[in-house]
Amino acid sequence: MRFFYLIACCAIAAAVHAETPPARVVSINLCSDQLLLLLAKPEQIVSVSRLALEPNSSYMAERAAHYPVNDAKIEQLLGFNPDLVLGSEFSPHPSIRIMRHLGYRVETIPLSSNLEDIRSNIRYTAALLDAADKGEQLIAEMDRRLRQVASATTAAAPPSALFYQPRGYTSGRETLQHEALVLAGWRNLSADHGIRGYGEIDLETLLLAQPQQLFSSAYAPGTDSLAQRQMHHPALNWILRGRPIINIPYKYWICGGPMIADAVEALAQARLDLLHDSGGKKHK
Amino acid sequence: MLMSGVLACLFLLSLFIGANPIPVLAAVMDAAGDTQSVIALILTEVRLPRALIALLAGATLGLCGAAMQGLLRNPLASPGLVGSAGGAALGASLTLYSGLAAGFWLALPAGGIVGSLLATLLVYSLAGRAAGTATLILAGVAVNSIAMALISLLINLAPSPYAVREIVLWMLGSIANHSMDDFWIMLPGTLLGWALLAGTGRSLDALTLGEETAHTLGVNLDRLRWRIFIAIALAVGSAVSTTGAIGFVGLVTPHLLRPLVGFQPGRLLPASALGGAIMLLCADIGVRLFPAGTEIKVGVLTALVGAPFFLFLIVRSRRWQT
Repeated sequence: MRFFYLIACCAIAAAVHAETPPARVVSINLCSDQLLLLLAKPEQIVSVSRLALEPNSSYMAERAAHYPVNDAKIEQLLGFNPDLVLGSEFSPHPSIRIMRHLGYRVETIPLSSNLEDIRSNIRYTAALLDAADKGEQLIAEMDRRLRQVASATTAAAPPSALFYQPRGYTSGRETLQHEALVLAGWRNLSADHGIRGYGEIDLETLLLAQPQQLFSSAYAPGTDSLAQRQMHHPALNWILRGRPIINIPYKYWICGGPMIADAVEALAQARLDLLHDSGGKKHK
Repeated sequence: MLMSGVLACLFLLSLFIGANPIPVLAAVMDAAGDTQSVIALILTEVRLPRALIALLAGATLGLCGAAMQGLLRNPLASPGLVGSAGGAALGASLTLYSGLAAGFWLALPAGGIVGSLLATLLVYSLAGRAAGTATLILAGVAVNSIAMALISLLINLAPSPYAVREIVLWMLGSIANHSMDDFWIMLPGTLLGWALLAGTGRSLDALTLGEETAHTLGVNLDRLRWRIFIAIALAVGSAVSTTGAIGFVGLVTPHLLRPLVGFQPGRLLPASALGGAIMLLCADIGVRLFPAGTEIKVGVLTALVGAPFFLFLIVRSRRWQT
């Protein structure tokens, strides 16, 4: 898979050098929005998707506000007369198919579930936009921040934690949450439990696993539903000994990108707080 | 007596069954003593509320089904079919998704109670006092459909992105993932409803002889009707606002038990309450034992058992007519 990306990157890089870089780029997906806004020159960007403006989902919401939005509808896209349409694996396929059929260049960015995916997606998008230097710069900065966290994390036995979302959703192996937890010096109990990707963990299993910390990354805080009420179960409060569930903004990982470093830093800080608290208790 | 014994056994059994095998006896010891342990926590905060809620909701549905069938003298009357449960689910979801219930704990059952009462009264006034079975069912179906449609609309408009998948929960009902808080919230309304129904047995017995005869026996029909409607709204409204509209328990239980109590509505009330609790506890144990990776909703199971029974009732009533 990685080999394939490498070939694709090289091929695209070669093609891009031969042609002129795209001057009118339209993105139709939140995740391609993020990379486009991070990598492209402002004058290259014609439109971003509507979700890019939503501050809870979009890391780049502030910069996205400068551009007209689209809803991935063919009529809108044609109106922008793009020379490159960026989407992701989750973009509406009919729109992509029709745009390709009409002779427009459409490129889709794969999903990322680990750091290596993030790096290759940045490189891939940077090559498309003729911004390879900017891409390497973003990757270097992300790696520098991650190394900094890693060097501050002691080799002591990692405390245990897991992600617990409304309706019992959790993140196991092969998710960005798992990657970030491990990088920040936590042990992901959901992964220990054999969960791959996103899965559900029932309350009894969670309690028996006795996590030292719970993290959440919930959408729309402040709203109410039965699923969200589950997060207030008194047993959760007991198992955490009164420590609150820590919310990590989901804009850090709803799309893979260099913003994963923000999440890792937040998780590392939570780890320090936990160790500090339990250290303090021992002294008493 | 026998039924109480069965119920107690089922209640205990339901504490032993969960996602993970835990040493229940050790957990009881821990919970009874002052030792704080995870297994005690699972027992008292995860399994106990679930068993208690199943008990309370099942008994409510069975009791209210029996009372309704006695009052309307109609074998198909039940909280699920007459719209009480649908209305309760609508009222409860209205307060929940508007955020009202987050600020004030009583808002959730209160929404359920008001919704239940309005839906019941609507069906009753649509069908009329001496409604035939078909009219009552038609009115009930119509009001239920409206309630369910409004729940869907409401949930789709709800600000919470998690709401959409909960449509199923309100329509089919589930007892999973509740805490003792939920039990305490549903308790007062339910008990109040039960208390109001407790004294209606003799009037319902008299009513089997016809409205005229009951009247001469000193039964004030208007008062009885209001008392039962309000009691059902209190009990069903509180229960459904926690569990969702669990179907068929209220319909089937009285039918199964009626021959055993000599067809007397007064004696049927307590029997049906016990029977409803037994049925729902069984169904809830059943969904936990179901081998699929994730639990199915308890309402799926009661519907799978109850719907064929409902069809059987229809077929039998047709045989009588011809």
